[in-house]
Amino acid sequence: MDETVAEYIRRTVLKIPRDEIKTMLQKWGFLSETQLQSINFHQTKDNISQDVVQCCEENSASIKQAALLDITYNHSYPNKRMWSVYQMNKTGKEEIDFFDLTDFRKKFKRQLRSALKNVTISFREYENNAIWIRIAWGTPYTKPNQYKTSYVVYHSQTPYAFISLSVLKSNLPLLRQALVVASNYQDIHEMELRSHSLNSLEDMVFKRYSQNFETYCPRPLQESTVAPESAGLRIVQENKNEKERIRRVNREVFGDGPQPKLEFAEYKLETMFMSDPKLEVLDKKEPFRCMVKFHSPHLLESLKSLAPAGMADAPLSPLLTCIPHKARNYFKIREKKAFVPGSFVSP
Amino acid sequence: GVFAHLEMLEARAREADLKQTAMEQRKEQLARLEARVQELRQQRDELRAKVELQEQGAEKEGVMSDPAQHSAQAVLEWKIRKVKSTLQVFYLTGISGKLSKQGVCFCISTAYEGTYLDSYYLNLLTEPQVRIHRHSIPVFIPLEQIAKKYLQTDIRRFLSILSDHLNAYVGRRYQADQLQEHFSDRIEGTMQRNSLCNLLVFNYNPSSKSKTFPFNARLLYGDLCCSLPTEVVVSCAPAAPAALAETAAAHSDLFRRLALHKAFGSFGSARECVD
Repeated sequence: MDETVAEYIRRTVLKIPRDEIKTMLQKWGFLSETQLQSINFHQTKDNISQDVVQCCEENSASIKQAALLDITYNHSYPNKRMWSVYQMNKTGKEEIDFFDLTDFRKKFKRQLRSALKNVTISFREYENNAIWIRIAWGTPYTKPNQYKTSYVVYHSQTPYAFISLSVLKSNLPLLRQALVVASNYQDIHEMELRSHSLNSLEDMVFKRYSQNFETYCPRPLQESTVAPESAGLRIVQENKNEKERIRRVNREVFGDGPQPKLEFAEYKLETMFMSDPKLEVLDKKEPFRCMVKFHSPHLLESLKSLAPAGMADAPLSPLLTCIPHKARNYFKIREKKAFVPGSFVSP
Repeated sequence: GVFAHLEMLEARAREADLKQTAMEQRKEQLARLEARVQELRQQRDELRAKVELQEQGAEKEGVMSDPAQHSAQAVLEWKIRKVKSTLQVFYLTGISGKLSKQGVCFCISTAYEGTYLDSYYLNLLTEPQVRIHRHSIPVFIPLEQIAKKYLQTDIRRFLSILSDHLNAYVGRRYQADQLQEHFSDRIEGTMQRNSLCNLLVFNYNPSSKSKTFPFNARLLYGDLCCSLPTEVVVSCAPAAPAALAETAAAHSDLFRRLALHKAFGSFGSARECVD
């Protein structure tokens, strides 16, 4: 077994929390049950990784298998990477897409390799029709560096791809081209949507989060039990009606279920500064540029709890509440033009 | 000496005295405040009782004077129950709708052979033109294409075709899931599929107690509104005996006619011994 492969496997195992190593190796599926039994998972991680490398040596692991271990790791911990969302289009073609996985893999590899020979490309498919692609980049003159990897997650027959580039932005055009060709689309552009939480990005773009639709649907409504105040007799809610209204409006806007997880939203303002003309703050009639960025461990949940906590009026500004629906967290706000009565948020 | 000691004792006595008076003062204040709280509570309860009495009085006047209102109430309740059950029926037929502030919200409920599956929602705006506002239709269903053709001109047809697409999709997905779940021992690994479940490829063996999978099946579902394949190719190794080739042809025909999991179900009874 190659020295570099052994080292790569060792380092990948070291990244995994000790309690998860056995499960991860099982998911990887390269080592047999007997081999896994032979490893003591209660020793130090250093020793565990050495034992794992030993077993891989017995099975003559190549870079292919090591790459699959890396995919398994990243699939279990996708939130360690920053993901951008890309959208593809094809014009006119109304033919049905019979997505053939073998075909896709062949085309992707061929297209990427035709531009750059020194790449390691690995694929793994998961149950929800998600195809994980791992690319390790080299240069025209050097072998692929297994520590410089990019990931692509693509769901068949959808126009969306999730890319975690990490390194070497110059390789992005190659990646985009390979994706477009392999998936039978015509072009690809980046959406204004970025987050660490891959699942939430998928939820937003595939509309899997709970939107609130008005129906007569006889689903049993989960009555949100407003827990009675523990002080009981001594505290009385005098503004029950207002609280109820806020709760109702909030529910209409955000729905009942958990919100997709985003860490930030960025608003670039290019609007005129509205000041008292007497103050003459700005002589020139130029838009005042500034940027507002909201940070949170879970932005949408915190927005959802603003009104009930009394920190904001309900309903919230549509600029904030449109985030999951428009599937974006980067906005440019320009002046409302007189002739456009609709949304003033630029696409 | 002694005087210093005496002074210390005096100072201590004074301190203790001060503390005592302070504590007594606090106690008094607390008692006063508690009494005040009781007073206020009593006042509040009295006022509350008065308000309730007034409200009740107003109600009583209305109700007591018209016994006919009771039966009117009962009729109204009956009507509400009837409407609710009608709506339930509509929901069970697969397409139901509700007028919203700016348009209509449709719910398409899907089912496959008696099993209710997912529900999908479409929020349509009606002014100035009919257009889709929000929806929960999966992104791989060709919604834009169907909308472009029918949404403006024939809403009924639009909904019907969309419903066909969705029902067929969940039907195909259901068959693939059932196959994977109940016949995983007859399939090599996991079968290759895609989001729309319109192409399935797998190696299989009709009998479950075998370790080889001599047949390769490729099912293509050319009609997105149909849950049966339009094209089936079942092949085996070129060197295989003729009997196998015959079986392959028979299976090819079977998969075209029968739902996938039902076809596999029928293998068990036929007892094909393929090793």
